[in-house]
Amino acid sequence: MLLSNVKIINKIKELKVVIIKTGIFMSLAAYWGVILVGTFITFN
Amino acid sequence: MEVFLPIAQVFVNPVEILLLSAIVGVLSGLFGVGGGFLMTPFLIFLGVPPAYAVANEANNILATSVSGSTTHYLKNTLDYKMGFMIVIGGTIGTALGIYTFTYFKGIGKIDTVISLAYMYILAIIGTLMLVESLREIDRAKRNIVIKKKLHVHYWIHGLPLRMRFPKSKLYESIFTPILIGLLVGFIAAIMGIGGAFILVPAMIYIIKMPTRLVPGTSLFVTIFVSVIVTFLHSFNYGSIDLMLVVMLVIGSIIGVQLGQKLGEKIDSSGLRALLAILLLVVGIAIAYDTFFAEQAQTEISSISNSDLNFFSKFIKEFSNDMPFFYGLFSIMFAISLGVGAAFIRRFFSNFKKKMLMKS
Repeated sequence: MLLSNVKIINKIKELKVVIIKTGIFMSLAAYWGVILVGTFITFN
Repeated sequence: MEVFLPIAQVFVNPVEILLLSAIVGVLSGLFGVGGGFLMTPFLIFLGVPPAYAVANEANNILATSVSGSTTHYLKNTLDYKMGFMIVIGGTIGTALGIYTFTYFKGIGKIDTVISLAYMYILAIIGTLMLVESLREIDRAKRNIVIKKKLHVHYWIHGLPLRMRFPKSKLYESIFTPILIGLLVGFIAAIMGIGGAFILVPAMIYIIKMPTRLVPGTSLFVTIFVSVIVTFLHSFNYGSIDLMLVVMLVIGSIIGVQLGQKLGEKIDSSGLRALLAILLLVVGIAIAYDTFFAEQAQTEISSISNSDLNFFSKFIKEFSNDMPFFYGLFSIMFAISLGVGAAFIRRFFSNFKKKMLMKS
């Protein structure tokens, strides 16, 4: 396989990992956002 | 088919309760976590009022921790001295917790406080567990080995009044286990959980006990904390419902045994991320229940005494007339079920060994 092709495949794999990590981080941030905003509204 | 709980005053489906407590038991046995922080929210979802869910789950935890602790006692993997030190703190913490519980019950906010406490605890544990397990999976994929420091000293290790703990081979201040016990007792009294999710990491990373002594000692502490919580809830609020306790204990004892057997056969580290997601889902379900579905209140059924069956009538009258002895009876009942389960397990284990020796 050409070196450039290997590089592209590795880049795609890295991008996939970055997208998954960002997705998990965003979901956790949204989760905590709902909880904190809900608590704030309940106590007001 | 629904059964009326004479103390909690609600109808529940016994099959659902048995199944859920068995599932939570399997998860407890598989991952080595206490099931309290999952079972109490499940009971609340099934319509049991939070104050009753907390008290009855504490009684259930008593039975399962007696069962587990007896097994560790038979294997001699228990540090009594350290356990008693944590229990001292646990007793004070439980008293403080019950005082706080009474305060919030007095102002009519106890259900909200319990729900919020669960939501935050589940969110925190779920997030930490998810991040840690994903990190572990990532490290395993990249073959990264992290060198950890042999000894990490925190301020808690500089406390005075040091004592020798020969079984754990430690020379530690008595305040370290007492402070940890205090925190565990406080949380157990308000939330109806055993507190193993705090105790186990604290014993390993702060007290630095040998890992083989940690599960047994943690269960040993949980026995005392849950005895105090059960008794105080029963005596102060009359909230222990033996009918519910029987269902919970049977389901969870069977589930824990299955979970432990399953844990011996499969590697559960990869499944930890799934447990973390389950905790986060339960946490968000409680958030929905607390923030958005407040109007849909649980239907408290009122059934006259004459409509109750003999067992329900007996439980109700026993609890009302003799709260002290009812509390003691609930404790003894849970202890005997727990010890019985441990001995049955040992009998089967010995029987299996004998059969293997013969063949």
